[in-house]
Amino acid sequence: MSDSNKTTQETATIRRDKKDRATEAPACGKDSIQPDRRSFLAGAAAFLGLISVSSCSWQEFVQNHFQRMTKTEIEETVERLRAEYKGKYGKDFVVGTEAPIDGTLFGYALDIQRCIGCRRCVYACVDENNQTRNPQMQYIRVLRFKDGNMDLEESSIYYDPEEVPEKGYYYMPVQCQHCANAPCTKVCPVRATWTEPDGIVVVDYNWCIGCRYCMAACPYMGRWFNFADPVIPADQVNTQTHYLGNRPRMRNVVEKCTFCIQRVRVGKYPMCVEVCPVGARKFGNLLDPDSEISRIISTKRVFRLKEELNTQPKFYYFFA
Amino acid sequence: MNGHIGSLKIALLVMALALLGACLMPGTGPVQAQAPQESQSEESGVAVSGQEFPVPLVPLPKTITPCRACHGPEKDFPVQFKRHEDLLVHKNIRLAHGGVRVWCLDCHHPDNRNFLLPLSDGKPIDFEHSYLLCGKCHGTKYRDWRNGIHGKRTGSWNGEKQYFLCVSCHNPHLPKFKPLEPMPPPAKPWTPKETQAKH
Repeated sequence: MSDSNKTTQETATIRRDKKDRATEAPACGKDSIQPDRRSFLAGAAAFLGLISVSSCSWQEFVQNHFQRMTKTEIEETVERLRAEYKGKYGKDFVVGTEAPIDGTLFGYALDIQRCIGCRRCVYACVDENNQTRNPQMQYIRVLRFKDGNMDLEESSIYYDPEEVPEKGYYYMPVQCQHCANAPCTKVCPVRATWTEPDGIVVVDYNWCIGCRYCMAACPYMGRWFNFADPVIPADQVNTQTHYLGNRPRMRNVVEKCTFCIQRVRVGKYPMCVEVCPVGARKFGNLLDPDSEISRIISTKRVFRLKEELNTQPKFYYFFA
Repeated sequence: MNGHIGSLKIALLVMALALLGACLMPGTGPVQAQAPQESQSEESGVAVSGQEFPVPLVPLPKTITPCRACHGPEKDFPVQFKRHEDLLVHKNIRLAHGGVRVWCLDCHHPDNRNFLLPLSDGKPIDFEHSYLLCGKCHGTKYRDWRNGIHGKRTGSWNGEKQYFLCVSCHNPHLPKFKPLEPMPPPAKPWTPKETQAKH
């Protein structure tokens, strides 16, 4: 509606310009710096066509990078997104933009002696973070190793026994490690992904161009690409969202675990921590010496995955 | 005379103000003695305050304290039996805790079945604070649990947390964690779209 209005207005302006030019014809002569009507219309049509083909509104098309948006721009964007999600899922969404809490640096610990490989965390994460169900996407991979083996290439993620834990095996869930020296954020050509001050590595889905360099750079396979339009049943969609977190994504963008940014920025535990039936998952503030995570690091044997790559993950595996 | 006192008063006031200012200036005042902070770690209050952890208090599920069904206020079965043979009346309870080293009255109170054995203070432990009794043998696990390393916590990472009792996850008579059925494995990348795991 507004688009068509705009075009007619623009056409009208051009027409007036032309009339003006016609009256001043002797002065202008053959000076044709201004585009003639035909090429302008062709260009406008191409532009509008591009927008309509990419199935996004013009506001979305001209939207700025999240870190460069002003407060009012963010509010407008959130309102637009809420309307869009309401149209798609028929529900009222909360699209939060909570800032990092001062004095926090999030860390995560996982007791691999405790984990029984039941995959409750995997599906709780899918429900919480609005991952596409078909094609399937799961931020957490639970690797199964033979006892005594730590070779990642010999691990399996497709195990499906009657009951877990199985004798002779142990389990190691892997997700985004939220590296302090994250290779994925360095390779992004448009800086659509970055590390927040509280240590969470996030993606601005609207700024992502889908080149997947970050996926190639990540040694933990912690990033996922929407090859097709995400499909989430309307009755399963989570309406409590965050702009940098679990708001519904679109095709051709990369997404990842955000430590449930929509939960941890308001003080709650991530969903995988809440759901773990054996209490193997621990989360907290690394800067607080009394937090669970600090106590684990100071008193237990911990290791980080692929430490030799100097990615400096904030995700610790430990043996309690 | 009067003038003397007046000027003395003013001088005293000025001195007092100067002293106050000096105290309030950061870094110049006398160093405040730090109150000895009782860290909530190993040594501090085990039996002293039974209420230091936000564990679920009442009502406990009946599966945790089924004793109340018969030995409770409603039905009062006598509990004067103390021999092993007498306790075999509890046929429904399978005890597999610590092999043959542990039997009923190593945890349960011999006279009052709604309480557990006391700590060194002589006061019987109620079922809501059973972790105190578990900690008598499982000291390292108890320490980890208090620090939030062992066991599950829910709630908020920087605020109120919900702890779970030892017996919320481990049946005290059969403490080994029960196996679970795993959720379905992820779809393999080459799986056709229609046959992918529905969720």
